[in-house]
Amino acid sequence: MEFTTQLLYPIDQILLAVMIFSIMFGMGASLTVDDFRTVARYPRGILIGFLSQFGLMPFFAYGLAVFLNLPPAYAISLILIGCLPGGTTSNMFAYFARGSVALSIAMTTASTVMALLMMPLLLEFYTSDFTRAISAEVQASGTGTEFVIPTGNIIASLVLVLVPVAMGMFLRAKSQEWAKTAEDTAGFMGIIVIIYLIGTAFARHSGLMLQTPIEIYISAVCVGLLGFLFGFWMSRLFRLSPIFQRAISLETGIQNGPIAFAIILLSFAEPVQSQMLWLAILYSTFIVITSSFITLYYRRVGKFDYEVYKNTTIHNRLFGEEFVSHYPENFLPKRIEHDPSQGFTPSQIRKKSQNSDI
Amino acid sequence: MNNRIAAENMAQLYKKAAEKYGELPAFATRKKELEWEPVSFRELYAQGLNLATGLIELGVQAKDHVGLFGDNRFEWILSDCGIQLCGAADVPRGRDITDSELVYIINHAGIKVAIAETEILVKRIQDLQSELPSLKEIILLEPVKKLPEGVLHLSSVLNTGKNLREIGDRRAESRMDSIQSDDLFTLIYTSGTTGKPKGVMLSHANIISQMKVIPIELSCTDRVLSILPVWHIFERVFEVYTIACGVCTYYTSIRTLADDLKNVEPTFMGSAPRLWESLHQRILKRVKESHPMRQLLFHTAYFLSKMYKSSLYFMFDKKLKVEKASLLKRMLLTPLHAVRWLIITPLYGFFNVAVLEPVRMSAGGSLKATVSGGGALPVEIDRFFNFIGIPVLEGYGMTETSPVIAVRTDEKLIIGTVGPVVSNTDVRIVDIESGTVLFPDENHPENGRGLRGEINVKGPQVMKGYYKEKELTDNTIQDGWLRTGDLGMITFNNCLKILGRSKSTIVLLSGENLEPEPIEMRLTQSPYIEHCMVVGQDKKHIGALIVPDLDGLRSEGIELSSLEDAMNSKKAEKIIRAEIKKINSTGNGFKRHELIQEFRLLPENFRNGDELTSLYKMKRHVIQDKYAELIEAMFNHEPSGAI
Repeated sequence: MEFTTQLLYPIDQILLAVMIFSIMFGMGASLTVDDFRTVARYPRGILIGFLSQFGLMPFFAYGLAVFLNLPPAYAISLILIGCLPGGTTSNMFAYFARGSVALSIAMTTASTVMALLMMPLLLEFYTSDFTRAISAEVQASGTGTEFVIPTGNIIASLVLVLVPVAMGMFLRAKSQEWAKTAEDTAGFMGIIVIIYLIGTAFARHSGLMLQTPIEIYISAVCVGLLGFLFGFWMSRLFRLSPIFQRAISLETGIQNGPIAFAIILLSFAEPVQSQMLWLAILYSTFIVITSSFITLYYRRVGKFDYEVYKNTTIHNRLFGEEFVSHYPENFLPKRIEHDPSQGFTPSQIRKKSQNSDI
Repeated sequence: MNNRIAAENMAQLYKKAAEKYGELPAFATRKKELEWEPVSFRELYAQGLNLATGLIELGVQAKDHVGLFGDNRFEWILSDCGIQLCGAADVPRGRDITDSELVYIINHAGIKVAIAETEILVKRIQDLQSELPSLKEIILLEPVKKLPEGVLHLSSVLNTGKNLREIGDRRAESRMDSIQSDDLFTLIYTSGTTGKPKGVMLSHANIISQMKVIPIELSCTDRVLSILPVWHIFERVFEVYTIACGVCTYYTSIRTLADDLKNVEPTFMGSAPRLWESLHQRILKRVKESHPMRQLLFHTAYFLSKMYKSSLYFMFDKKLKVEKASLLKRMLLTPLHAVRWLIITPLYGFFNVAVLEPVRMSAGGSLKATVSGGGALPVEIDRFFNFIGIPVLEGYGMTETSPVIAVRTDEKLIIGTVGPVVSNTDVRIVDIESGTVLFPDENHPENGRGLRGEINVKGPQVMKGYYKEKELTDNTIQDGWLRTGDLGMITFNNCLKILGRSKSTIVLLSGENLEPEPIEMRLTQSPYIEHCMVVGQDKKHIGALIVPDLDGLRSEGIELSSLEDAMNSKKAEKIIRAEIKKINSTGNGFKRHELIQEFRLLPENFRNGDELTSLYKMKRHVIQDKYAELIEAMFNHEPSGAI
């Protein structure tokens, strides 16, 4: 599928830039220096999160691209999406999915910093097949010489989008009140611009949605879903507590879309730019829908263990750290029974002390 | 899952809770902001047994009445537990009990042992000792440096009990076994401003029946914040319920409420309209002070939520239905609402998450629901909280029905009503004038729904009667039907709507009661006032509707040809204002909440047969209906404070 007209008009590009700026600014306004310190508080969670974000996600993106036999530009875009760090959206979803918001924020912070190193490496590693394909294509048509991943430009764009984040953090340090306002306003503006962009894109290129082959849709939807699924299973495999499982799952699946836009706009040129943007737009649209449903699902299944966790936490907050909440026998289901954050039943305590006697 | 304990009486409930919930905290007392002291279910029961044994040793017999004067604190519940375990009933009142009430209640209930919370209260009881022939022992609850003469401290009674139990005393257990379901568990004296307090006899069966009707499922993972006075049946029933569910109750106070909401993050609380009013004001104030952008966000969010919820309410038949709805209209409107709902849902989703959730945080953020009772919740506040996503379940009840008669549930969360009547309970609506049953009656269309009358109740929660007041009991309960004295109707979606009181007692928003007649009687003695009706049910203060005496005013040199002239005369208003101030004053023995803050002159006189009965008694509900707008306008007007 070729783009006969430009996907974005100059005005849209400006709007997109404004949106990226305000969303990244809002992200910064929600962060504090303390958030970097919490990273150290959850080493296990962060490590597993790191593995699923920069290990699983790019791999799935690559696998999907190969499996679905995507055109090279789309494949590169998909892999780019797979390599992105997390964004603030995932923190909000983690909150409503009864996951650990602290871990979600810490993962966002850590992955954003790590992205400077990891993204170029991963892109280099996974996209070589596809860049060769594009190079062959452009050489055949005689419009260019060779296509390479513009690593330098990508790092530069990443640094560029981190500027508003730093500005936001600075505002937060100066005035919490203003930062909160900026954060909400940015979120609000972001939504309006996204709705406008999607609306106009669909209106202008009404045929585009129909022309887009089904595997593009499948890849846009599945990359997020696979992230949710395997982020969850991986953290479950490592026996993290349910609230961490939900946070890591959402953090893995939800990527920082605005960074993808920024990189594509700043580092790639036509003929691949429009195709890459289109996939990024599709991903950003579907991820909101899928993560809403996933969140609703997590919220339901996580209700009980979250309430236990919350109650135990509040017991410790009010009655002292050494207070142990003894829930009645058979009150806690098996899957959270041995999680220290969920408290213990008297028989477990007895067993423990017997073990320590031996 | 249903976790509530099924017990036959209160003593058994304490015991079973200790067995089931063991070391989980049952009650928590605030020491500092983040330092609370928990007491476990096991500990509570163990201490309760000690106290019961100590009380038996003091001579408390089964079915005795033990006075329990104090407000919310752990020792109150411990005292209650001890009293229940020794087969006696408590007679609870708060610290603010007056001397005359103390004398009346202690003598009327034949109290031999009284437990008092504070040293001051103990001193007051001792000063009245000469008037209290039956009272033998006073037990003090709060820790003191030096114990007043002739008083036992709770700890020493506990110690006596503990020592006796150590050498094998098991009298408490045998007392517990002999408790019958219809024995009293409490004898609550309700205060009337006129006349003597009435002792409401509530049995174990009464209170246990309530465990099945509370609409919110609670479990060991819930937290309840307690702010209303525990000696009130409304709060009491929740505390009993939390014991049945293994929930920890955290005692808070008005002063620390805002902090405690944040730190305890309660999932449930019993509340009074007053609480929601002040929270409502606080939220609105915060919104007003915030950045214009945030104000816009809030108002957008509120608007969307309103649209979203009203469509939902419409589609699921959760709208207040005081008239029979036309099926055609419903069929036409339902698709429209469905479309509106579909369009709004995604937007509402975002705003609910981004804007309304932080607002909900001001109530702790974890509230599943709250039951509001003890007075009518103003409709706009009711709407506000339900729209921002804190489900306020308004309930209706009275001490005499221990207390729940009706309460909104999640499925029947219909704003403007107090929800459906609870299970196993029958309600009928009786015509005030003729005494005939309006609902349920097949002769009326729709079985009598939408007809207004006095609410009568029959069910397992209805009290045994007023203690030693046979005549009053027989007047109140006839053939098992308790006359509530409240006006109401059954809506077309089977909820109870309260429409006012048929008795004249006015309950202010603050919960204070007053009888309007004494005030009216004094005022109509004035030469300038012909008729006067005091209003103010569920308001902050009282107001009056006044028919001025034209002759009286003319004698002051005002030219008047009709009541309408008087209504428009500044001078007439001034004279009457001065007159009210003179008569309705604290100097004349009126309490602060009995002072009229606003009044309106009426343009027409009361007529015999319309506003007045043949005996010249005012038909309050007729007048209230006729001048409803005027009354509303009067209370919406800021009090001038001039009276």
